Amino acid sequence: MSDRNEEAYVELKEINKHFGNFHASKDVNIAIPKGKLVALLGPSGSGKTTILRMIAGLEQPDSGDIIIAGNRVNNIPGSERGIGFVFQSYALFRYMTVYDNIAFGLRVKKVPEKEIRERVSELLKLISCEGLEKRFPSQLSGGQRQRVAFARALAPNPQILLLDEPFAAIDAKVRLELRTWLKEMITKLQITSIFVTHDQDEAIEVADEIIVTNQGKVEQCGTPQELYSSPASSFVAKFIGNSTVIKNFDRFKYFEKAEEAEEAILRPEFVAVFKKGESVQYTSSAEKAVVEDIIFRGSNLEVRVKLYDNLISSLRSINEPIVEIGETVDVFIYRMFLLNKDRICLVHNQSLKQESVVI
Amino acid sequence: MEIRKNNGPLKWILIVISFLFLTIFLLLPLIYILSTAFRQGIGAYLVSISDEYTIKAAMLTIKATLWAVAVNTILGISAAWCLTKFAFRGKKILSTFIDLPVTVSPIIAGLIYVLTFGRQSDLYPILDDMGIQIIFAVPGIVLATIFVTFPFISRELIPVLTAQGTDEEEAAALMGAGTFTIFRKVTFPHIKWALLYGIVLCTARAMGEFGAVSVLSGHLRGKTNTLPLYIELLYQGYDFTGAFAASSILVLMAIIILILRLVLEKKGKKELDIKK
Repeated sequence: MSDRNEEAYVELKEINKHFGNFHASKDVNIAIPKGKLVALLGPSGSGKTTILRMIAGLEQPDSGDIIIAGNRVNNIPGSERGIGFVFQSYALFRYMTVYDNIAFGLRVKKVPEKEIRERVSELLKLISCEGLEKRFPSQLSGGQRQRVAFARALAPNPQILLLDEPFAAIDAKVRLELRTWLKEMITKLQITSIFVTHDQDEAIEVADEIIVTNQGKVEQCGTPQELYSSPASSFVAKFIGNSTVIKNFDRFKYFEKAEEAEEAILRPEFVAVFKKGESVQYTSSAEKAVVEDIIFRGSNLEVRVKLYDNLISSLRSINEPIVEIGETVDVFIYRMFLLNKDRICLVHNQSLKQESVVI
Repeated sequence: MEIRKNNGPLKWILIVISFLFLTIFLLLPLIYILSTAFRQGIGAYLVSISDEYTIKAAMLTIKATLWAVAVNTILGISAAWCLTKFAFRGKKILSTFIDLPVTVSPIIAGLIYVLTFGRQSDLYPILDDMGIQIIFAVPGIVLATIFVTFPFISRELIPVLTAQGTDEEEAAALMGAGTFTIFRKVTFPHIKWALLYGIVLCTARAMGEFGAVSVLSGHLRGKTNTLPLYIELLYQGYDFTGAFAASSILVLMAIIILILRLVLEKKGKKELDIKK
């Protein structure tokens, strides 16, 4: 992220954290610019929530610096770091009404009751929950609870908003709506936000930048496009996208055997599946394979073919001629990632060069 | 679901067994207590319960109970709070120690205090110099009662606090609320009914405590005799009317507590339904 060091607002430097024998954060270095919406993405147990909780002051790092707006905040309590926190299960005060929930942070700060009333009604309007102020959290739907938690975190005007798996507890349909809503809200409010998620679709759709964590380490920071097109480690290459790992990639036609490479990664968009005779262009360089499985995805079909003992996925439009399970098809592989420990290179099918010469 | 619809013989057999058991082991003795207390007429009963020593014993029981409830409410909340909201070394040990009074025989509990504060103890001269008498005196009775009833409140609170988790407290703390505000606004509303229920159980147990108190009391009439001890004394002296009359006071107190418990349970449930 060296090129992106334009005024890091939240910075973690050389952070280490242990829970007993478990090394939860290993030399974590991240820098988040002001006003950005950033996702901490990783499998469960990868240390993403620990990072979030350390920024909030709910956990103390064993070593390293946490810097907010240029100040080291390690010894400053979370409540004085200018942070709003949305918990995974929302943690709304269940014995208080929606109004009292949102007003809590302001009351603690001894804001005059009149100002509190104005701020709460302003926030209720923002989250379109007017008229619900007298309800208890149990009387709200999941989506409403999430929005009230959001309003409660925003009430004291924090500089940073932290969200721990904000969509995990909501059903699929509402989750999609809330994602869009949250992104709009945060863009509108221009508040630096960091959210934790294990769902890459969520991170890619919502975040400006993604920090990928694995086993306590930060694997890569970058925009969703960067993570997708140039993964920095084999973990990211495998984790992002619907990746298939291939060991015997050197058997594939038109891919030179790279001496040091250990395995290769294929994504559905790297592969095209054609019915016999459907494509003229790649016939000579395509491989023959048998369709093992077809999964209907609504807008498209995922076709899985068996090629040199690997089950490879590809997407076909529903408008294309239908292939069937057991059918022998032509498979053309455009490119693949070759992995060698932590060096990654994208290699293209060599026939593409040759044919382009011919054409 | 099947078993609930079953109206067959099993249901009736279970109902009959339950009622038979309760009648033989609870209702009959209760009736017997009352009938024996009134056997020599209501006049004799009134004389017995207005006996100076009976009243003094009842007062001492109430005193010990109030002390035990007050101390155990504070200790119980503290113990439950620290066991559920913090992670620290020795948490398991503390959790096990809380249950100790239930597993240890009350007699042993009494003896522990005799050994700790009695004449043979190293503490005795120090306490004696300060003019504090614990064994065979009211403080000993209070101590024994506290010991025996210690787990009741914390054991009611721990499951409730565990179920609640620490998120709400963390949320409040992040907004800058102090420990006391967090307890008053966030934690207390949650444990209110469990706490009251724990207090009821603690009270009931404290009133009836016999074993530990018996070891520490010294059985001084009008001074260190609690109601259960006094009842035993009367009974051993073949004063059946006196013994059973005094028992009826204890029974009355127990019934009041039982009704309180029912009311609390209902109210708590209602509130829970709204706010779940």
